[in-house]
Amino acid sequence: MLVVKDLHASVFGTPILKGLNLEVKAGEVHAIMGPNGAGKSTLSNVIAGRDGYEITSGSIEYQGKDITELEAEERACEGIFLAFQYPVEIPGVSNMAMLKAAVNSIRKYNEQSEISAGDFLKLIREKAALVEMKQEFLKRSVNEGFSGGEKKRNEILQMAMLEPKLALLDETDSGLDIDALKIVSHGVNALRSPERAMVVVTHYQRLLDHIVPDFVHVLADGKIVKSGDKELALKLEAEGYGWIEGLSEDIAEAS
Amino acid sequence: MIAADQTQSWIDQHSAVVSIEADWLNTAREKALSHFEEVGLPGIRDEQWRYTNLRALKSHNYSVAESRELLVELPTSDNPRLVFVDGILNTEHSTALNVDGVSTLSSALKTHNSLVEAHFGQALPKEQHGFTALNTAYAQDGFVVQIGNNANLVDVLEVFFVSQSPETVSHTRNLIICAANTKCTVVERHIGNADAIYLSNSVTEIFANDNAHVDHYKIQQESDEAFHIGGVFINQQSSSNVKSHSIALSGLVTRNDVNTNLLGEGAHMEMNGLVLGSGRQHIDNHTEVNHVVPNCTSDEYYKTILDDKSRSVFRGRIIVAEDAQLTNADQQNNNLLLSRHAESDSKPQLEIYADDVKCSHGCTVGQLDASSLFYLKSRGIDAESARGLLTFAFANEVIDRIQVDSVKSELTKIIAGELLSGLEDLV
Repeated sequence: MLVVKDLHASVFGTPILKGLNLEVKAGEVHAIMGPNGAGKSTLSNVIAGRDGYEITSGSIEYQGKDITELEAEERACEGIFLAFQYPVEIPGVSNMAMLKAAVNSIRKYNEQSEISAGDFLKLIREKAALVEMKQEFLKRSVNEGFSGGEKKRNEILQMAMLEPKLALLDETDSGLDIDALKIVSHGVNALRSPERAMVVVTHYQRLLDHIVPDFVHVLADGKIVKSGDKELALKLEAEGYGWIEGLSEDIAEAS
Repeated sequence: MIAADQTQSWIDQHSAVVSIEADWLNTAREKALSHFEEVGLPGIRDEQWRYTNLRALKSHNYSVAESRELLVELPTSDNPRLVFVDGILNTEHSTALNVDGVSTLSSALKTHNSLVEAHFGQALPKEQHGFTALNTAYAQDGFVVQIGNNANLVDVLEVFFVSQSPETVSHTRNLIICAANTKCTVVERHIGNADAIYLSNSVTEIFANDNAHVDHYKIQQESDEAFHIGGVFINQQSSSNVKSHSIALSGLVTRNDVNTNLLGEGAHMEMNGLVLGSGRQHIDNHTEVNHVVPNCTSDEYYKTILDDKSRSVFRGRIIVAEDAQLTNADQQNNNLLLSRHAESDSKPQLEIYADDVKCSHGCTVGQLDASSLFYLKSRGIDAESARGLLTFAFANEVIDRIQVDSVKSELTKIIAGELLSGLEDLV
């Protein structure tokens, strides 16, 4: 589904990704771990098409097509979803309004008719229940005054509504207490399917107790330096990043 | 016909204005005319008009209109209303003439002459620009709301000022006089006929006595070629609460002054403003809050959205007198530029002569937030709609402060129509 080849990318002129390779197939869940400043968030933002994140060489293929020239909204319409590390507050635009705009925009792109008001309401109620979100949150402005946990649940609600083929979860566990982590993980697990791939970017192993990955990669200094299965995450948790070959000394120390 | 660039012709023309049966008013008009003779129409050499080019305004001729039938279709609502067409009361469409406390200036001069005399001109600033002087000199009619002690204006009063005849001028003059412990809500709507060129020069004075609550709205939807000069001047006594909302949606050149004098302790003033500029529109908002006595609060919140080559000026003056201890004043002015050719000039002016006060102000001029745009786009929302949603959200923070449901929902619709093409039903 996703093939990233020798990807070099800069953020506002600073090189961050330096030859990253990653292949993700439908149905798989990949965890990307790594020390601070390794480029984890850059990777998810580059795939989602954020402005200012420039690909200097290499390629990103998604469903067999190069997507590097597509706008962020086109990538979203093609089925890529990014759950933000820091979801943005949008006062004055209700959650419901934003999601309706998003659902219809994606349907239009895929040459489908607009969703009826009744169907939309039914769908959003069903998905809100998945992340235990009360109805009143749907009417509130997007993320305005939401707690950290509510914001992350809102991200998963959006993901559930938009039913992406490839979901990128950027530090979804940051700022969550254990109860919120369980609710969020439950939502994510419910969305796992043979047709859907997920890339879970995280700093800590604890999220992976709840969302068990098929593969774990260590990202350091802009490259994947080690790949393995879920056992790798446990080893990192116990021993840190110092033992990994190819990690420069600074990074090993910093971690 | 009056050529606006010739101060003399405004003066000469004045003799044709119908003399009113109140001697004091005729005197006030003559006095205003001689003040106008001194100051003339403002120009860019005047500090307060530095960024405001009045050349287009001055290049037309204007005459005082005669009574005409209403040609413009007005929005419907259940609220009682007064309708003025080119400055002249239209009785056919005015449903509020029998409402207690509601009348017109010309009839109030007959029924409440001494009350009108006691208030007329009292809230005007000491230094008036030429347009305010002209308004007094030419004052003929307008609405009057006067509420006696412990009474309320039950319904929301809507007053429509419709300008429909080309090359006309209307100098409407309005009064809101609220005795102690009263409440009223007045919505002024300034509406123009398509592309008509005209000058609407309006002054409203508000007197809020002890513990009176006044909610004043001014919604400006003049024609795209029109000139609108407006002033709202307020005197507030103890524990009074006045909210002024000024929404400017169209018109070629607009200048709105809102001034308040906090004259009694415990008075509170809230000033909200929203500007939507596009094309070659120019919109000025000049506000002044005079904290004269201790323990008053003021909260000012003005937002501007400019597209194309539109321009705006915001000047927010807060004066805290030496005696006005424990003043709490806040002023925010946020300007959103949607086009690189738009220009916004913002000038907060705080003059504080007391030493135990809390005054804060903030001013921003900027573009839409890139992270918010990316957030919406990453949900599949196209760039244009994403910009529309965020711009709407910016405007909505002012709309949210509107407390009259009918006004709020209508304005929401109007603004959604301007900013959210195709997504109006979302809000």
